[in-house]
Amino acid sequence: MSRSAIRDRLRRLHEAEQAAPLPSTLPEFPRYADLVEQFKVELERVSGVFLDGRSPELLRQALERVLADAKAGEIYWESEDLFAKHGIPCELRDSEAFKRGRLVRSDHPVRQVQFPLNLHSHPYNRATLASLTISVSSAACGIAETGTVLETTGPAVGRLLPVLAPVHVAFLRRQDLLMNHADFFSSVKLGDAESYLVLVTGPSRTADIEKTLVLGVHGPQKHYVVLTE
Amino acid sequence: MIEIRPQIRSALSDSQLQKNLRVTLGKTATARQQVIAEVANWEELRRHAHQVKAHTISRLGEYLQQLEKNVMAQGGNVVWADAGREALDYIFQLALKKDIRKVVKSKSMLGEEIRLNEELERNGIEPIETDLGEYIVQLGHEHPSHIVMPALHKSKEQVAALFVEKLGMTPTDDCEKITATARRTLRQHFLSARMGITGVNFGIAETGTIVVVENEGNARLSVSVPEVHVAIMGLEKVIPRAADLSVFLKLLTRNATAQKISTYVNLINGNRRPGELDGPSEFHLVLVDNGRTRILADEFLRQTLYCIRCGACLDVCPVYQTIGGHAYHSTYQGPIGAILTPQLLSVEEAPEHPFASSLCGACYEICPVKIEIPHILLKLREKVQDQKSARASRLPLERWGLQAWSWIMTSPGRYAVTNRIARTLARMFARKGRNRMPPLSAWTKSRELPELAPKTFRELFKEEGRES
Repeated sequence: MSRSAIRDRLRRLHEAEQAAPLPSTLPEFPRYADLVEQFKVELERVSGVFLDGRSPELLRQALERVLADAKAGEIYWESEDLFAKHGIPCELRDSEAFKRGRLVRSDHPVRQVQFPLNLHSHPYNRATLASLTISVSSAACGIAETGTVLETTGPAVGRLLPVLAPVHVAFLRRQDLLMNHADFFSSVKLGDAESYLVLVTGPSRTADIEKTLVLGVHGPQKHYVVLTE
Repeated sequence: MIEIRPQIRSALSDSQLQKNLRVTLGKTATARQQVIAEVANWEELRRHAHQVKAHTISRLGEYLQQLEKNVMAQGGNVVWADAGREALDYIFQLALKKDIRKVVKSKSMLGEEIRLNEELERNGIEPIETDLGEYIVQLGHEHPSHIVMPALHKSKEQVAALFVEKLGMTPTDDCEKITATARRTLRQHFLSARMGITGVNFGIAETGTIVVVENEGNARLSVSVPEVHVAIMGLEKVIPRAADLSVFLKLLTRNATAQKISTYVNLINGNRRPGELDGPSEFHLVLVDNGRTRILADEFLRQTLYCIRCGACLDVCPVYQTIGGHAYHSTYQGPIGAILTPQLLSVEEAPEHPFASSLCGACYEICPVKIEIPHILLKLREKVQDQKSARASRLPLERWGLQAWSWIMTSPGRYAVTNRIARTLARMFARKGRNRMPPLSAWTKSRELPELAPKTFRELFKEEGRES
């Protein structure tokens, strides 16, 4: 009913009109010589933590740092693909762990990462998701202009893992780092494959009380980005 | 008819409110100036955004249908609602069918506009506001006083007192502790509510994507945890292309909160797909008109619909800075509220809003999509006056006065003579800024009349001409 009424009204309004054209090009966006440096500066500006993981040793140190900061002994991984994609030296002890629809955890009793990772799995359910401390996911890409990473859903990847945990780690490959938002929005294929994408820049924040900045109001309080090769 | 004068008077005498406004707005203005100064082509970005909006609004029907088609192709449902009532009924029916008794809500101005919370409550559904500012306002049974910072009118001591009373928080004035209390309480609601309702910042026609911009993660949780996601969107929020979002985001987040980008930009393409581990099983997009096509009918006034709700015009407005948001007694406050309210309702319903402005133009200067707010205010004032005179068929005195005025002003000679008479009278009756002759003395009781210059402009002009 309303659908056709509104559409008719709109059609009548626009009939006689010449529409001003859409601009054919985007205004210029900033470009940077050193993408990694720009990304790091911007991420740190919004209280995010940048960690270089571009060698097995650096990667180990990065994960140790995350565990130590959170005083935690376990990490939840988003998917098996993440290990291959980011070159995490890991010989999976329990390949059963990565069956679709399972939550995969690695234990680090002394808060030190040891490869290969010791993997366990849990049924993927909300109660477990709500109780975890550190979640790790793989960023589809990054944007240097603002220190942003793109997180997406996908096959065997949901929306909850990266947002419920108080500590989140996004792994980002150097080759997936884009220059600016114009590059990102001109190339991204929204809606083709995934039902949900989110641009994340730093930890959750609010300034609703007297403009005083407080981190971690709903989403993660700590936000790490580990850059991999 | 909405009367705003009494509210304005009480706001002016509320010293706590005056202090809260000063604290918050001062911080925002400085930060915004800095972050805008970093952008070399700010003007070009504003022009681009203006052009995209102008184009879209003049082809609104086509783009909305494209958006609808693409959302439905992804498995979402799209509903068109003429008035707020229809949107509300659709949401109630949906909740009823699934026996949903609680919804988590993320910030939506449209939700305020159609009184979503009150109506949900009346229908036995508990709405939980999850944006911290909105939650504070909801706990205090108030309305937001700012488009972007809903609880701007409250000090942290006032918020703490509210949390102690309503949530049993241990007394503290530490913002971190107050926020942690909100996180704990609201997380439980997120995990138990089965419907999430969000607003929409942009709807991208070419991809069927709903964009929700936020900092806290509450919108992200609202679209991720519950089994049903309902997005309510004003018709004007559609944009044709994803690429332009780069420009809109840059303008919106800098203007709204002085950030280069907000923490989360949620890009939603319908409900959970096969193979995805979680996410809502249903997605509903409710397109709401509620007076928007009426605004569209006027080719000049329709630019009001370009607004992307950044709230910057409120912060820079000397009137808003003085009276705060509640005095406007409307969903939308400040300069944008002064032009939107009388148009969404009607000028008869909100005749005082267009006059709540000094026409200084700061709102236009800051507007990211270059809405000519001062001109629109004038146009609306004209409408209000037209209506008044149509009703009262104009007092004879006013009519004669205006006829005389027009007779004098249309001839240089008559103007000069009248000027001389007026100056002589003024010298006789006005002394030191006070006019002693009633009824004019009433006017100068609270204002000073400027001293008359010894010579008129015309006299000076003649003399200057002789010298050079």
